[in-house]
Amino acid sequence: MSDIGFLIRHALRIEFRNKHGIAGLVVFSLAAVYTCYQATGTRATMESWNALAWVVLLFAAFNAVSKPWADDSENMRSFLLHTVSPQSWILARVIYYGLLLSGLGIVVFLGFALFLGIDQFPGWSAFQFWVGIEATALALASLLALLQALASRAGGGFGLVSVLGLPLMIPVILVSTRYGMDLMKGIVFLDTAHHLLFLASLTGGFVALGYILFPYLWRD
Amino acid sequence: MTLNVLQYLLQISPLEGFFFGSGKAMVVTGVALIILIGMGLWLFAMEKRIARMNEHVDELLNSQTLKKK
Amino acid sequence: MIQNSWKIGGLALLAYVISMCFLVPLGPGLLEFQDAQSAGVVAELERKVSVYRLVGLNTHWDEQPESLHVYLKHKSSLVELPVIEVNDATHANVGLVLPDTIPSKSWDVFTSHPSDGTLLLENGLFTEGFVIDKEATWPSPEVTEFTSNLALHFPFQPRIFETIRNLMLHVPMWFTMFLLMGIGFVASIRQLSASQSELHDLRAEASVQVGMAFGILGLITGSLWARFTWGAWWVDDPQLNGAMVTVLVYAGYLILRATVDNKRLKARLSAVYNLFAFVILIILLMVLPRFTESLHPGKGGNPGFNSYDLDSSLRMVFYPAVIGWMLLGIWMYRVRLAAAALNQKLQQL
Repeated sequence: MSDIGFLIRHALRIEFRNKHGIAGLVVFSLAAVYTCYQATGTRATMESWNALAWVVLLFAAFNAVSKPWADDSENMRSFLLHTVSPQSWILARVIYYGLLLSGLGIVVFLGFALFLGIDQFPGWSAFQFWVGIEATALALASLLALLQALASRAGGGFGLVSVLGLPLMIPVILVSTRYGMDLMKGIVFLDTAHHLLFLASLTGGFVALGYILFPYLWRD
Repeated sequence: MTLNVLQYLLQISPLEGFFFGSGKAMVVTGVALIILIGMGLWLFAMEKRIARMNEHVDELLNSQTLKKK
Repeated sequence: MIQNSWKIGGLALLAYVISMCFLVPLGPGLLEFQDAQSAGVVAELERKVSVYRLVGLNTHWDEQPESLHVYLKHKSSLVELPVIEVNDATHANVGLVLPDTIPSKSWDVFTSHPSDGTLLLENGLFTEGFVIDKEATWPSPEVTEFTSNLALHFPFQPRIFETIRNLMLHVPMWFTMFLLMGIGFVASIRQLSASQSELHDLRAEASVQVGMAFGILGLITGSLWARFTWGAWWVDDPQLNGAMVTVLVYAGYLILRATVDNKRLKARLSAVYNLFAFVILIILLMVLPRFTESLHPGKGGNPGFNSYDLDSSLRMVFYPAVIGWMLLGIWMYRVRLAAAALNQKLQQL
């Protein structure tokens, strides 16, 4: 456990030492939100609000994992190979990306709320929508953690993560958009919560698979 | 034999007589069967060719290793 | 020759399947029961009644036209309608003779005929201009039932009609694709546990390539079938979504293989991705469709193709079709694998 904590703190330290990484992501997200604001003609219907929010989250997630991991140089990898177990490593990546994408989720949601308005949401459903965004961010993070490791070992970078990741993302986004539309239509939370359960189980599945498969990726 | 089958099918129903009588179903079946048999023959031919090339390459590899020795 | 017998067996099965698939006629069924907008005379009643046109498909009403009986049915209410005239094998004029007070607006139409047996058109008639009284009861007429004496035919299903023949093509394509992807899955597992050699890697690649071919054929046959039964080339449906995701995921697998040059690394990375993708796809394709409604046959309100619904005439072509296509798929996989192995050997020269 302490290994995982160490790795996460290490990654966060590197990330914040050189703040332009995170800053770049936030700028990208806000720029994407503002583009959507303009694209909808400054007045978004329910469907376009929902659709664009999830798509922006999706592409912000891809952008977030496209940077090569700070510790992926060959020397660092060989060093870590002998000091931490690969299972700790993948869990650390999942948690780290989970934190990162959750933060991005907040940025995206607030951006959409500010520019495209929040009055499409009846009652408390705006908060419930945000919960959905966080759940999706976690699912995306767990999937992308493994795929980013795979793509960086393959030397493919941003393009390869998208090619490998987008088909697997389609079911996640499908569930999230259904959830979002249900909320906007005013369906009670308890009736749509099964979408969140499905996202959670998908997250669990991705983490479990990553846990089993990551060691093969990592060692020589 | 085809004529008997056609007559039999024509007696079943005029609608089918039109479809089968104009020979469309026969043509479709015939084309599909030709494609299937053609694919089978091609696969057989490929297998033979690959086996032949495999022997050839094995000979070459053996002669190479012999030369190295 | 004995080693090749399964290949010839597969071809023979497929030849049988293709012949049956296109040559077996479709059984009789009712298409519509429409207001003919005219008046006709019914002999016993000696008055004019509105005439309805009954249209069938592959029916044989010109044989023994006097034995055609037409009934309207709603739950337990049954009334026989007089047949005014039988125009030809598939068209008949029927008089609509109903009392003024009827129990319902929607009625099933069913016919009985010596050659065709009993045929049903669900919700064939919606009546206008009658008084609806749900409690009305009627005397049950005597129903003459016949069992059909037709030759071998495929069953008539509403909305599907002749396209049922696609069952022998579309469904086995997907079964074969799953079989091949399963072979690839096993090969990937063995690749990861025997990390020194790459021989399983070739198997995984060959099986995914041939499996993709069958997957794409499955998509094409499915799309054509959808166009003719549902009216659209593509619909938003969990099984179709799953099919598209599957094809995209394995396309990603092939692209991943193309990106990596180092053979060892390629073998390992693609094995990891194959395992990951296969497990996720199994979850998505087995779990999601269970919980959602769908237009796909077998779910929701569609005539299904599960083992209870599958007619014996369909079964005798469908099961050989599955086996035949699987044998052909495995043969194609073997040839592809042999070619890839030869290629690898050639590179050593």
